Amino acid sequence: MILEPIVPTVLSVRRLPHADPALVRAYGGDPARHTALGLVTVDQDDPTYVALDEATKHAPVDVIFAHSFYAGAAHASGRLSGEILGVFGAADPESIDQALDAFVRCLAHDACFYDADGKRTVTVFPHVIASLGEYLSKEAGLAPGEPMAYLVAPPIEATIGLDAALKAAEVRAVRVMTPPTETNFACAWLTGTLDECEAAAVAYAAAVVDVAASPRAR
Amino acid sequence: MSRTRQLIAALRDALGSSEPLAPAPPLPEIPAPPARVYTPRPERRPFAAEAARHTTALLGIGHVGTRYATDVVLQFQAELAVAHAAVDALLPEEWAAANGFVGVKSRVSDHREFLLRPDLGRRLDDASLATVRGKCTRHPDVQVIVADGLSAVACTGSGKALYDAVARACAARGLSVGTPVAARFARVWLEDEIGQEVGAKVAMILLGERPGLGTGDGLSAYVVYDPRVGRTDGDRNMISNIHARGIPIEEAAARLAALAAAMIEQKTSGVALDLARLGMTGERMPRAPQVRQKLVEKTGEAR
Repeated sequence: MILEPIVPTVLSVRRLPHADPALVRAYGGDPARHTALGLVTVDQDDPTYVALDEATKHAPVDVIFAHSFYAGAAHASGRLSGEILGVFGAADPESIDQALDAFVRCLAHDACFYDADGKRTVTVFPHVIASLGEYLSKEAGLAPGEPMAYLVAPPIEATIGLDAALKAAEVRAVRVMTPPTETNFACAWLTGTLDECEAAAVAYAAAVVDVAASPRAR
Repeated sequence: MSRTRQLIAALRDALGSSEPLAPAPPLPEIPAPPARVYTPRPERRPFAAEAARHTTALLGIGHVGTRYATDVVLQFQAELAVAHAAVDALLPEEWAAANGFVGVKSRVSDHREFLLRPDLGRRLDDASLATVRGKCTRHPDVQVIVADGLSAVACTGSGKALYDAVARACAARGLSVGTPVAARFARVWLEDEIGQEVGAKVAMILLGERPGLGTGDGLSAYVVYDPRVGRTDGDRNMISNIHARGIPIEEAAARLAALAAAMIEQKTSGVALDLARLGMTGERMPRAPQVRQKLVEKTGEAR
């Protein structure tokens, strides 16, 4: 069946209650404010960005590091590597705990890729963030609390999907990442009202499914 | 549920509703059943097989899981059917005359009453009493009665043969045998009244016995000395299982004649009779192995 959720697997969740300042600095944190770290690896990168952002709404934490790995989870460097490493930084371990709980909850129940062809050979991430957190709002150059459509698919599907999404709703592209990316997917961030973001995401998913079903239909 | 998942689920329904149903996944290939599904049958074990050779009881029938094997169940049902049929059978009224017997009848009027009222089956009705008084030889040594009892099948099957054999055996011992009588709807104690009426020294009734599994054709013989109405079973000697798979007719007839002779000699019967003085040799030979009659054919051997 198409468009079944593919729930991400959280491969590791670790905490450093009092990290070495050199480590914090190397990973982009401020040793004065980020003494405790929370580290996660997941086998889906884009849901993880969304979940990292979601966690910043639940606890006073900063996402100091988040990077996808080259070629994705199918070519991971190890059993626990997955597709992404995310690092929270906070002043105290309790905040890290709260953030990690929210992070895991979001991946279990909300953010995930969907099966676009019924065989999981084409996947799509047509996610709507109703209210941006500290992390993605800064990355997107938007204000916290604004809605955003976070749209990801493989290169050809994403390109046609983005066209469909922009035409289907009153949205504007905040950022478009053309292939190749680290994982060789293509990504687009769109914003508008929440209704328009939802309409854009649905149009994007429908276009991806259509391309996956008939890739040679001109 | 998250908003995004709701949106995508709705899109899935919208797309799915316009598409035909996905083709059913192919059925997995069903493996052929194993060639032999029965567990080894215990009857094939030497001990059970040897034990089963000496009885027609249900020994060494084995099991399949927690149940009986199918052929055992079918055999059981067939044997039960044989028993039911034997109980249900009626002795034809004309059978006595056709085989040279004087026909009499107990006070029972129909088969159902015969099964429900044993007391009525132990007394002659008025017409039969007159028949006995009018047609039977008085004061014989042995009065032999053939009767249906609980299995008319056994009576019609081997009643005449057993009577002939008994009569020959008694005559060989020099005992006079009374007029042959055949009784319908008869219980064992009917011999008391008939014997009393003809004044016989010994009354002997040969009647179909209560059918068991697969033995609807068994005859029993009950012998009493000085028959009187009111004799009890303590006054009787009996031989049961007179049929092809039990005691053969010739052997039973020899024993019955010996019993009658001993009763006349000792002037008693039943528990008071001293069987050690019966004077029959070769009585204590081991019984020949019995073979269970197969009513159900097995089409294929399990092994």
